[in-house]
Amino acid sequence: MIPAMNPLVLFHLAALLLLALGLYGITIRKTLVGMLISVELMLNGAGLALVASARLTPASDALGQVGTLLVMGLAAAEATLVLAIILVVFKRFGTSDSAKISTLRG
Amino acid sequence: MGEALQQQLAYVGYGLYLLLIIAGGLAAVMSTSLVRALMGLILTLFGVAGMFLLMNAPFLAFMQILIYVGAVSVLIFFAIMLTKTPEGEAGAENMLEWIGMRAGLAVLAALTPAIIMATLIVKKAPAALALKPEVTLAQLGEFLTGPFVLAFELISVVLLAAMAGAVVLGFERRKGK
Repeated sequence: MIPAMNPLVLFHLAALLLLALGLYGITIRKTLVGMLISVELMLNGAGLALVASARLTPASDALGQVGTLLVMGLAAAEATLVLAIILVVFKRFGTSDSAKISTLRG
Repeated sequence: MGEALQQQLAYVGYGLYLLLIIAGGLAAVMSTSLVRALMGLILTLFGVAGMFLLMNAPFLAFMQILIYVGAVSVLIFFAIMLTKTPEGEAGAENMLEWIGMRAGLAVLAALTPAIIMATLIVKKAPAALALKPEVTLAQLGEFLTGPFVLAFELISVVLLAAMAGAVVLGFERRKGK
């Protein structure tokens, strides 16, 4: 085992992996729903990093856990709103393809 | 059980959950079918819940499964099913025309921050402490209603606003009045 690989680093690398996957997904996906899935991946990575920092360093433990709970609440609120926005966009444009959602021609 | 054996088992568990996260995450961003992508997301969420358990935060693991797997995934599934195109493809992604430069750029967008931050994490990380005793639910509740009461109230306002906004956006005006 490499000396630098303590549990804190391992958990943070897992969180970073989630961020990278989410960034890749949000760049390559064409539909809004696919982008939403990628955003959820990134938010989950943020939560994981928060909990790892709270549990494995001298930082306040409850602070990290409550912060993660707030991230989860925000993710739920965000998913609700994005669902409504996707529905409105779909009703107006007949597609949720981000490349086709434009009213200006050119 | 010996301390050393427990340590080894923790690494095995970490590997298992990391495998879940990698497999699910790849399915979530690569799969052409959005339903499969959602299944991948759910797999990833379970993996992260397992990591919370490894860090001795069972309440968070439970909340992760309850909120993400229970609520957010269902919302995303609604979004997939309600944006069905008339041709019948339930939210399929047309990835083929994106192969090439776009994929390369997407990999660049993902790897640039990842490499920078990974170097920083590996080089600068402080030594991890031994796991602290579990935070009890009562302590969390006291923290949430004591010093964090403003954030607690604000998140309920945000949830209410999001819900009201969703209802207003989804409200269908009756045609031909």
